Amino acid sequence: MIKLDNVTKVYKDKHVALRDASASIEKGEFVFLVGPSGSGKSTFLRLLNREVKPQEGTIYVAGKDIGKLPGYKVPDLRRNVGAVFQDYKLLPTRSVFDNVAFALEAIGRPRSAIKEAVPQILELVGLTSKSKNMPDELSGGEQQRVSIARAFVNRPLILLADEPTGNLDPATSVGIMKLLDRINRTGTTVLMATHDRGIVDTMRRRVIELDHGRIVRDQARGVYE
Amino acid sequence: MAIRLDYVMKETGQNLARNLTLTFAAILTVAVSLTMVAASYLIGTGINNSFLGLRSEQQLLVYMNPSAEEDQIDSVSRALEESPQVEEIDFYNRERTFDEFQTLFREQPDLLSSVTAEDLPTSFRVKPTSTDAEVVSALGDTFAEREGVLRVAYAAEYARQVQRSVNTLNRWVTVVGVVLIGASVLLIFNTIRTAVFARRREIEVQRLVGARNWFIRMPFIVEGLVHGLMGALLAAGGTLAFDALWQRNFVDQVAFELLNQIRWSSGDVVSAILIITAIGALTGAVGSGIAVSRFLRA
Repeated sequence: MIKLDNVTKVYKDKHVALRDASASIEKGEFVFLVGPSGSGKSTFLRLLNREVKPQEGTIYVAGKDIGKLPGYKVPDLRRNVGAVFQDYKLLPTRSVFDNVAFALEAIGRPRSAIKEAVPQILELVGLTSKSKNMPDELSGGEQQRVSIARAFVNRPLILLADEPTGNLDPATSVGIMKLLDRINRTGTTVLMATHDRGIVDTMRRRVIELDHGRIVRDQARGVYE
Repeated sequence: MAIRLDYVMKETGQNLARNLTLTFAAILTVAVSLTMVAASYLIGTGINNSFLGLRSEQQLLVYMNPSAEEDQIDSVSRALEESPQVEEIDFYNRERTFDEFQTLFREQPDLLSSVTAEDLPTSFRVKPTSTDAEVVSALGDTFAEREGVLRVAYAAEYARQVQRSVNTLNRWVTVVGVVLIGASVLLIFNTIRTAVFARRREIEVQRLVGARNWFIRMPFIVEGLVHGLMGALLAAGGTLAFDALWQRNFVDQVAFELLNQIRWSSGDVVSAILIITAIGALTGAVGSGIAVSRFLRA
C-alpha cells in the first residue's frame, strides 16, 4: 500500500527532515510513528499525500510513484489519503454537518449523496446528536471526531493522523483511539504520529521510530521505547 | 464530474457579500472607466461621421447667393483663378452641394425632406497658396464684398480647430479611461486577494480532501467576472445617459456649430456597450486570474 525507498527530504532552510528513509506498509496495517519533536514524523506523513515532495528517493502509494504524479492528479491521490491533525482544522463558521459535507462538496459529490453519507459517518463517530452544533460548542474530543469524520467520509484507503490526541486528556484520547481502531478494522491503513507513550504501549501495533530524520526502529507489535 | 453551479453561486455570493466595500469600490471604478471608454469611442465615431474631416481639406469657402446671376458667378470664378494667392478652386454647383448635404445629413430624414437643391447656395472651395491665417483672411475679405457673394467662411481653420480640440479632449478621455481600467484590474486583484485570504482555512481543507484546482479557483474567477460585468452594466447605463445628454445638448443645437455635427447612430451606442462589456469581462478575468494564480498556487 505504501512504500518508501531511500527517501530524503530537506527543507529550504537546509533542515534535513528525513534522511534515507525506507519502509513498506501493507494494506490494513496500523502504524505508529514515534520520536522526539523534529524527528521527521510529520514530514513522513506529509510526503504521503504530496503536501511536500522529497529531494531523493521514491514513494509509492497504492502502487503509484507519487513523485511522478502531475499536479492535476494530486487531488486524486488526496481523495484516497485522509488526514487528521492535532488542531482539527475545522471551519468555525460551519456546523458539524456542514464541516463534514464540505469535504464531499469539495470533490463535487451530488447533494443527494452528501445527505446520505454525512449522517452515516456522524453515527460512526458518535456525533449524530451534535450535527447542528458549531465547532466551538464541542469539546476537544468531539471536535477531533468531526475532523476524523471529515477525513473518512470519502472512505479513503489510507488515513494519516498527525498527533490526533496531542490536545486531549488521556480518557478522551482512548475514545479517539477506539475510533481509529474501528476505522482500521474496515481495512483502512492508518498511520499515526504520536508522543503518547500510553497509547502506543497499550495498542501494541507496529512502531516506526524516527530520530533526526532517520528510521532507527521498525518493530511489529512494538512499544513506545 | 458535473460543475456544481449552486456551489459556485453560493461561494461567490458569500465572497461578494463579505467584501461589500471593496466589491463596491471595484465595481464603481470599472463603471467609471468603462463609461469613459464608451464616451471616447462614441465621440471618435462621431468625428469620423462628421464633415469636420471633409472640410479640413479646404481653407476658404465662398458661398454665392442662391439668387446670384450666372455672370456674377463667372466673375467671381475668374477673379479667383487669376488671384496669385489661390492655388486651387473647386466649384460646387447646386447638385453637388445637394449630394454632399444628403451624405452629411443622411441620419436626419426630416431635414433632408425639407430641403431641395434650390435652397442651397453654390460655393467655391478655395485652397490658398498660403496657410497663414492673416493672408487667408485678407484674401477672403476681397471676395466678401463682391456682387452675388453671400458670405465667405473660414470653415477649414475653424473646423480643424474644433476637430483638434475635440480630438485632444477625446485622447485625454481615452487615457484616463485606460488608466482607470488599470486601476480596476488592481482593485479587483486586491479584492480577490482579500477574498482568498478570508477563505484560507476553507481552501486548506479543500486541498486536503482532494478538491481540484479549478474547483477551488472557480468562485474567485466568477467573483472577478461579476465585478467586471456589474461595472459594465453600470457603464452601459452611463453610456446611454451620455448619449442622451449629447443628443439633447449638442446635436441639432445651432448654438454649437460644428460640435453639433459630431453625431452617432443608436447602432454605435450598441457597439460601444458591447465593447465595454467585453472589456469589463476581460478586466474582471485578468484581475481575478492574476490574484488566483498568485495566491492559490497548487
